[in-house]
Amino acid sequence: MSAAKVKMREKKMRNQPASVQYSSSSRNVERNAHNEGDTSGGPSDVRASAERQKKPPQRSGWVRGHHKDGGGYAKEMPKYITAGAFARARSAEVKAMLKAVTKTTGSSHVFGALPKHMRRRAMSHNTKRLPRRLRDVANRMREKSLQAGSKKKKEQAKNKSRKARRRHGNLLLEFNRRQRKNIWLETHIWHAKRFHMVKKWGYCLGDRPTYKCYRPCYRAMSSHCLLQDLSYYCCIELQGEEDKLLAALSQMTSKQAGPTFAAALCLSGCRQGSVTVYKAGRYPSQPLGPVTFLWRPRTQGSTHRQLWIWAHPTLKQDLLPELQTVCQCCEAVLPPVVPVVTPAEANPILESESKPENKPEAKPITGTKRKRSSKDFTGPPAKKILGDGTRLPTTPITWKSSSTGIVINDLTMEIVRYRLIGPQSHSVLAETLEAATDCNEVDTSQASTLWWPQHCKDESKMSLHQQQTDVFHILKGIYSTGELPSGTVLGLTVDDPRLTLPTKKVKAMPCVKQAQEVDEEKRRELMLRGVPQHCCQSFLWEQSVRDNVTDNKISEQELNCMRSEVLVPGSRLSPTPLQGRVPILLLHQSGKQVGHEMNSWGAGWDLLLPKGWGMAFWVPLVYRGVRIGGLNMSLKHSQNKAAPHFPHDYPDCPAGIRFQEEQEAELLDKFKRHPPAKRTNYIKHGCLAPFCCPWQQLAEEWELLTRDGGEERKGDSKIQTTTQTDTVMEEEMTSQQDITLTKPLSRFTVLRDRKSLRLLSGWCRPTTSKGQRLCRVGEVPPLSRSAVMSFLAAHGMSLVWVRLSLFSKGKPEFHAMLCVPTTEDLKLLGKELGNSGPQEPPHRDHFKSRIKHQKDPKKATTSSLSSDKPECKGSELPSASDPDPTTSEDLNSSFQASSDLILGLWPDPLPSVTSHCSRVTLGWITQGDFSLSSGCGEALGFVSVAGLLNTLLNQPVEHRGKLLLRNPTSLHYRFAKINIEV
Amino acid sequence: MVRVKSRYLLCEVNVSDKSQLLLLDDRAVAATVRAAVARTHGDYGAALCSIRFSVKYLNAHTGIVLLRFPKRCYRLLWSALPFITSIETRSHKIPCFLNCLHVGGTIRTCQKFLIKYNTQQLHRMLPKCKDEEEKQHIRKAILNCSLAGETKEAFEEESESEEDEVE
Repeated sequence: MSAAKVKMREKKMRNQPASVQYSSSSRNVERNAHNEGDTSGGPSDVRASAERQKKPPQRSGWVRGHHKDGGGYAKEMPKYITAGAFARARSAEVKAMLKAVTKTTGSSHVFGALPKHMRRRAMSHNTKRLPRRLRDVANRMREKSLQAGSKKKKEQAKNKSRKARRRHGNLLLEFNRRQRKNIWLETHIWHAKRFHMVKKWGYCLGDRPTYKCYRPCYRAMSSHCLLQDLSYYCCIELQGEEDKLLAALSQMTSKQAGPTFAAALCLSGCRQGSVTVYKAGRYPSQPLGPVTFLWRPRTQGSTHRQLWIWAHPTLKQDLLPELQTVCQCCEAVLPPVVPVVTPAEANPILESESKPENKPEAKPITGTKRKRSSKDFTGPPAKKILGDGTRLPTTPITWKSSSTGIVINDLTMEIVRYRLIGPQSHSVLAETLEAATDCNEVDTSQASTLWWPQHCKDESKMSLHQQQTDVFHILKGIYSTGELPSGTVLGLTVDDPRLTLPTKKVKAMPCVKQAQEVDEEKRRELMLRGVPQHCCQSFLWEQSVRDNVTDNKISEQELNCMRSEVLVPGSRLSPTPLQGRVPILLLHQSGKQVGHEMNSWGAGWDLLLPKGWGMAFWVPLVYRGVRIGGLNMSLKHSQNKAAPHFPHDYPDCPAGIRFQEEQEAELLDKFKRHPPAKRTNYIKHGCLAPFCCPWQQLAEEWELLTRDGGEERKGDSKIQTTTQTDTVMEEEMTSQQDITLTKPLSRFTVLRDRKSLRLLSGWCRPTTSKGQRLCRVGEVPPLSRSAVMSFLAAHGMSLVWVRLSLFSKGKPEFHAMLCVPTTEDLKLLGKELGNSGPQEPPHRDHFKSRIKHQKDPKKATTSSLSSDKPECKGSELPSASDPDPTTSEDLNSSFQASSDLILGLWPDPLPSVTSHCSRVTLGWITQGDFSLSSGCGEALGFVSVAGLLNTLLNQPVEHRGKLLLRNPTSLHYRFAKINIEV
Repeated sequence: MVRVKSRYLLCEVNVSDKSQLLLLDDRAVAATVRAAVARTHGDYGAALCSIRFSVKYLNAHTGIVLLRFPKRCYRLLWSALPFITSIETRSHKIPCFLNCLHVGGTIRTCQKFLIKYNTQQLHRMLPKCKDEEEKQHIRKAILNCSLAGETKEAFEEESESEEDEVE
């Protein structure tokens, strides 16, 4: 019954008498009655009656139904009833009945009391039409209803009119209120009008546009330019002596996984570097995630360096404490504006750990709400929040170390970062940006608080600016963004791009004319060597300049006013207002680096701006005909680049683990929203974990399998390679029992060692995407058992990132299984080209009947014995669909253990993941789609190194590296070629 | 109005030992009635008794029971009531018989009858009193048999509670 119904019923039954009886459940009563029956004594009776006098039955409530305690009656039963008690009981009953009879039941409305023939129209608002005896009640009810109505109206009146709400100041207040929980990027309003927004990682981010643009966006990435707002990436600034910084950071990286922070090119400041960060000294077991970093070019005669580390927001909460421990920076430097001591400052590190969203904020600009409440504040009531609105002003953003002298600065939301992807992104930039014009003599001579006039006085700075401008002009001449060396950095000072905003949206194209003008020699130099070192310097590195630029930005309104005063409408403002010079940094972003085809696909530029200037650059960029992508597109970008995307494809990092858990919960929730009959039954499809890949279990199982296999082979070395796939299967069967017994081994890792990856890649026989042609690889030691064994000794518990391309049809989906083909499958593949792959026999859902039983427990209890028996028999039969003999045992145990079974999903203790299906599972796909770049289904995922090597060993050379791929919702296996790209 | 019609039988449980009355239980009464009907009228009776038969009210102090039967077959079911000789409750067998006082079409009429009946009983008891104390008790009880004076208070309480609900 619904709550309203219960309430109605209560109201109706309020005056009705309930049954009066002693509770049936309490046995004490019974026993007492017995005792007293035996030892009949006067006093007990007296006591009982006395008690009853204190509590007359009616007062204590008429008990309806079976209440636990006797409804307040005396527990003892009297032996005989006196006349007084008899009379009292009668009178109480009469009273109750009287109450029931006199009070009207039924509807509580007054008119309900009137017989139908006496009811009149309009009685509800003219009470005088009612008989006099009912008028009082009716009046009261009417008043009450009027009051209720007025209350509602009052509440509505609180909301202002739409016009008032949309007024600028109020709107700003509302926006500021909404920004307190999740950080808004500067382009938030622009995005919110065009994108599906999601709240992720403490930010409001655009996921995908509301218009259809999947293919146009891909086209933009591969032939023109796609723009993304990546300002949510967190920047952490490290300052200190170069050697000390390097010593501290070297603990977090390893040379085996590629160039580190100390790579010479990066260290000079001409290149942006990227590196995978580990917990201090824990390589390779505890990775944190990938970061990009940028050193500030050396200033002459100083060893003091500045380093920016850019990290994903989910990574930042792990990275920042780690950096603090590595650099021994535990003294928090408080923001100077707030001198108040709060408990947050007592342990700043803990604070920062517990509040990962705490990001720096412009010091003069604190939360508007707080401003309004403080009395000494005199200024406009609302101000736009720049930077982070969720952070408390007292939270420290700077940490200092007394021993090493390193300063860590949290620059989150201080710097706007836009990413342009595509071969034409340089022409978009060249068209949008214009190198800053010099100040004329008059401006320079005047004392100014602005930074640019002061810089104009300095000769060396101006010459640097001139050189940077020259490089920027050469940049216009190159053909494609991918031609540049990856990670190139260019510092620049530009004019306010709003001044050169075209009246109509145009498509930026490479300017052929200009390209011819530019010196060929210089262009080649740029393409080969990148930007000269001194040109990488930018004033964006300096906090004071950034703040100056942010504070002195001309507002849109002022700019429009100035435009309206121009004599020729639509012409350019001249002279350029002094405030309109912005220091920026351009970072080249490398495209696809791994693999043998589509090289440098998706290369582009990152544009770093001081905060506050986001929209001033965004709109001019959009007016150059770029496409805008959201989070969805960055995933597709990295997928096409065959690069792992953070945090989706980092299952060994804490952020990746968190992401997986979230994703599982989300997918499970979505799955449960469907009615059971409309769900995919993943048990029948033989898919154990459709929502979350149990990597640890996979790694452990393969580790065990290979170890057992190795021992067996020592005894019997005559096994033929052709039958080995079968023996592997058998071994698995035998080792199944062990799995439950063995304790968890060490944690799995993702293989990132360059050398080992190269070795593996060579063993996989890399081919072109559809597997037609072999690619040349360098000298690789031949694949032999001894080599494999030594490799596995080091990386037995590892997973490896692989790319798969399907031979024929099929669109891989995420969490698809990667399986080992049997020899028969490979033979079939060799026979006919059009062979689409084997089928998985459908599995039986043993849990279905259990769920049914759970639903109606009566049946389950009565027929549990009879129904369990045939089922157990069925599962014990060695059927083809169920190659795993342990399932029935698992089944029983899990049935007893887990009470909440979901139809179509395996309950929690999963059986062996490797050998659940007819083909042995190697790993899972994390990203998969039809690839527009290669024209076939492509998938990215992880496989177990042990499993992969085992498979490769057992496969004949011509079929080496061919695997089967099966989507979680299908029974069809598809052939795919595995490629490990380094 | 269109409604499902029933007959309500207001019965009195007569026992020899008054204290045993307190052991009564509405489920036990219902079970006993069902058993009696099944005994006298067989499966047909039992089936009739299974639909819309219930014990609406039971007062263990006075031994008043209100039974609801479907109107269609209440005579048949009623005819089984005299065959009840004992009620088994809480592993006690209470020897008793049911005496039907009133047959009504609504609970309300039954309640009205009960008021009349009880006051009548009390009035009858008054002259039969043995000593002064008893007389006093019964007088008090008779005076209690009205809602006068309390009605207003009760009403106010009620309205207050309603207001609470609104809040």
